[in-house]
Amino acid sequence: MKFKDYYAALEVERDASAEDIKKAYRRLARRYHPDVAKEEGAEDRFKAISEAYQTLSDPEKRQAYDDLGRHRPGEEFHPSPDWETRFRRDGGQPQEVDLADLFEQMGFGAGGWGRPAGPVPIRGQDLEVATELTLEQAAQGTEVSFNLSVPTLQSDGRVQRETRSGRIRVPRGVIEGERLRVPGRGGAGIGGGPAGDLYLDIHLKPHPRFRAVGHDLYLDVPIAPWEIALGAEITLPSLDGTARVRVQPGMRNGQKLRLAGKGLPHRREGAGDLYGVLQIVMPPELSERERELFQQLADASSFHPRLHLEGVPTDG
Amino acid sequence: MADDLLIPDDNESPLPLEELLSASGLVQEEVIELVQFGVFQVAGGSEPTWTFHSRTLTLARRAARLRDDFGLNVSGMALALTYLDRIEALEQRLRELESQLPR
Repeated sequence: MKFKDYYAALEVERDASAEDIKKAYRRLARRYHPDVAKEEGAEDRFKAISEAYQTLSDPEKRQAYDDLGRHRPGEEFHPSPDWETRFRRDGGQPQEVDLADLFEQMGFGAGGWGRPAGPVPIRGQDLEVATELTLEQAAQGTEVSFNLSVPTLQSDGRVQRETRSGRIRVPRGVIEGERLRVPGRGGAGIGGGPAGDLYLDIHLKPHPRFRAVGHDLYLDVPIAPWEIALGAEITLPSLDGTARVRVQPGMRNGQKLRLAGKGLPHRREGAGDLYGVLQIVMPPELSERERELFQQLADASSFHPRLHLEGVPTDG
Repeated sequence: MADDLLIPDDNESPLPLEELLSASGLVQEEVIELVQFGVFQVAGGSEPTWTFHSRTLTLARRAARLRDDFGLNVSGMALALTYLDRIEALEQRLRELESQLPR
């Protein structure tokens, strides 16, 4: 069994008062709560903080935890002989068990964060799986396989980690950040409580061409100065083919060409749009002839692009 | 079990109040107040038989987490959810604008 230092998780001394522990929890929860924090690892950190607080905020649990003695975090330790008899497992070999699971086993209840423990029916835990899809998979729909390690309460009261695997159907038209819910497929309820739900968090892999924003797609469209000066009919790639689009003479750099309905499909009908963002580019190297023609243009044009920067600026 | 193909909820089907309560851990009074605050939108029905959009479940679970982890009351939940919603809208806008910049 690995020892977890709950005091270190809450950044308090071992003799901290109940009030100090509460303050430390509030400070850290505000910083690392997954609904508030966006930094990498915040969720795991919050889980550790929350687990520590659940034990240290309850005088009885805190006493039991203190009785385990002082160990280094992650150090292997074996509970006292008294524990071995009270909570022995089959074969007498200690298995990999979470401290939190162990506390549940000791009769300290299996409620969620901050909920009261007791013989009331408790709804099973919600499970979450994250997946990364390509834009094509999101557009067409797909299936996702998952593997989860779920703490499960056995009929004899022991908590064991079970591996759960399965496949989830992902309908077409999902977008970045969407969550799919499979009702009743989370952890089993306790004491007659209903089962939790299984959630699938959708993330989209970066695409070499398109950037997805909701159901809309954005595509950089390099364009030559003469194409934008004279107008042009160009071919753009879309997610499932190509599309012709007209560049009007005099369009500006950064202006968007909209291809309606060529974005990611919606669940039922319709689709987002595809936007081509114009970027005026020069040939990497000018041929002799190109240089000559640009020189002629420079000589012939009276266009002064920086006229407004001359003289003393005036208001408005 | 390994070959069990799970079908997610249809995100567009209405979610009855009862299911919103059991799946989020909020109590009915909290949901009623959050509707009054305008944080939750009712999709249809009248009070005991309200239905919600499934998007509301995500909000409701978040509200319950904020309540449990920070000890917030309903006004606090409403305020936090409103701000989080605004942050998400701004982040979305930022992503949109970033997508229009050349890479």
